[in-house]
Amino acid sequence: MIETQGLTKRYGKLEALKELNLKIEQGKVFGFIGPNGAGKSTTMMILSTLLRPSSGKAYVGGFDVEKNPREVRQLIGYMPDFFGVYDNLKAVEYLDFYCGAYQIPDRKRRALIADLLELVNLSVKADSYVDSLSRGMKQRLGLARCLVHDPKVLILDEPASGLDPRARIEMREILIELRSMGKTIIISSHILPELAELCDDIGVIENGKLIAYGSVGDMTVGVRGISIMQLKVLDQVEEAEKVLSDCPFVRRVDNKNRYFRFQFTGSDADKAALLTKLLGEGIPVVSFSEAKENLEDVFLAITEGVGS
Amino acid sequence: MRGFLTNPMIIKELRERFRTGKTAWILGSYLFVMGAILFGVIYVETANKIYFRPGESRQIFILLTVIQLGMIGFIAPALTAGTISGERERQTLNVLLTTHLTPFAIVSSKMLTSLLFISLVVISSLPLYSFVFLYGGISPEQLIKIFWFFAVNIIFFGSVGVFCSARFRRTGVSTIISYGLTFLIGVGTALLTIFLWQFFEMMEWKTFDSALFPFMFSINPGFVLAEIIGEKVAPSSMTYIMEPWILFSIFYLGLSVFLLGWATRVLDPLRKRRLG
Repeated sequence: MIETQGLTKRYGKLEALKELNLKIEQGKVFGFIGPNGAGKSTTMMILSTLLRPSSGKAYVGGFDVEKNPREVRQLIGYMPDFFGVYDNLKAVEYLDFYCGAYQIPDRKRRALIADLLELVNLSVKADSYVDSLSRGMKQRLGLARCLVHDPKVLILDEPASGLDPRARIEMREILIELRSMGKTIIISSHILPELAELCDDIGVIENGKLIAYGSVGDMTVGVRGISIMQLKVLDQVEEAEKVLSDCPFVRRVDNKNRYFRFQFTGSDADKAALLTKLLGEGIPVVSFSEAKENLEDVFLAITEGVGS
Repeated sequence: MRGFLTNPMIIKELRERFRTGKTAWILGSYLFVMGAILFGVIYVETANKIYFRPGESRQIFILLTVIQLGMIGFIAPALTAGTISGERERQTLNVLLTTHLTPFAIVSSKMLTSLLFISLVVISSLPLYSFVFLYGGISPEQLIKIFWFFAVNIIFFGSVGVFCSARFRRTGVSTIISYGLTFLIGVGTALLTIFLWQFFEMMEWKTFDSALFPFMFSINPGFVLAEIIGEKVAPSSMTYIMEPWILFSIFYLGLSVFLLGWATRVLDPLRKRRLG
């Protein structure tokens, strides 16, 4: 459904995107992970026909984004990371405006707008001025706006950014609903656990370069010879931290009071040696085991050393 | 007409513009200022007299017309210089550009709705002119020409505002440049014409044979307005190729089309940019 071939974008001497090759199948949810300025938004803007690439090609639904922008625009619903709304319009008028912009006939609009407001849980706010909606509601209204022409592809740039936890959960539920409707979704976020639940495939981008790409299941820190370990001690926290930091196989120690989480690059024998050392120092170990890795661990492991 | 009434951009713009109290305030203030000037002048002229001469009515007409032209030069850039940059600042432009609305549709709709409002302001002042008609001194033909002349000015200064709004990212910058260009057209062309005339005279070159001066006199709004109301500003010996208001209309309407075309091009996100 979405394909890029050697996609590159340069702003003067700065290369914002370097030879990006992506292929996203129809109905899949693709998560784009990367720090700010990594090239996620640039990619999404090119796919949304808002930016001309310096070189390379991008296709949506088989249409070249440069040569067939009108066809591409019919296929996509784009939600930028920051977007404004028209404050002097009511929610229904706002959606009606975009229905008009997509040339949806008048007779279909009423039912369509009601359905969309229902989908994003804003039916009760139909006649409220957009100005009076909370940020989360505006974000959901923006998502409804993306859907007025029933696009096959949704390009969502940080849709949960700036939302409180409750609004974020509501947004995620709507996205899960959209996935079940068979939409192809490309979504970026720096809140990584959110993507893990939602996405089929993940792409990690840093400094304009795609450094990892695959299904969520395949994306494990194990492929890099790293395991995530957890250690809980009864007391002597400082001593435990010293033992961990002295160990050459331990990286990125996260100390939450008596609970440690860290990356371990050694073998099973090295793990056993570390536990022996801890016990030998008289540290009362409550538990020492491998932890379930999350997307943040994957991201940190993959981007280790990139860009430095 | 159906296309106009169903254009979503026009409906949205009109909804937004006429829903706020600001619109009523602008319209009310404009009429108040114009009315105050008119009644002030009539009061002063008739305070100690028992008669009112038609010649004085004509002076009021000239005064109203000059003020109206000044107001158009002041209001048109203000209302149009933020139309597109405002969308950009509000972060709504990118979303608009991913819909089926073409850059031309966006530019022309913005232009049209701004013009509608400015036209409403000017047309709403028509009853003030009826006072002048009451006393005579002005022909209907002159009035029609004047309103045509106003329409051309509104379109041109509006186009300057829309162009600056598309070209410059910030509304503040766009507004300043729009006013700068308006000043250049309104005052700059007059100064340049007078300077060139003096220079030609000084060098003893033939000013009357040159096609430059009829053209220069015809592109300054002040000179053209004076010609329409029958006040001779240009030397009487100078002959125009065509009536100044016609040349003025052709020149500025052509320039308006060019500016709007340029604004449309600037707005196209996939346009090819020059390298380097």
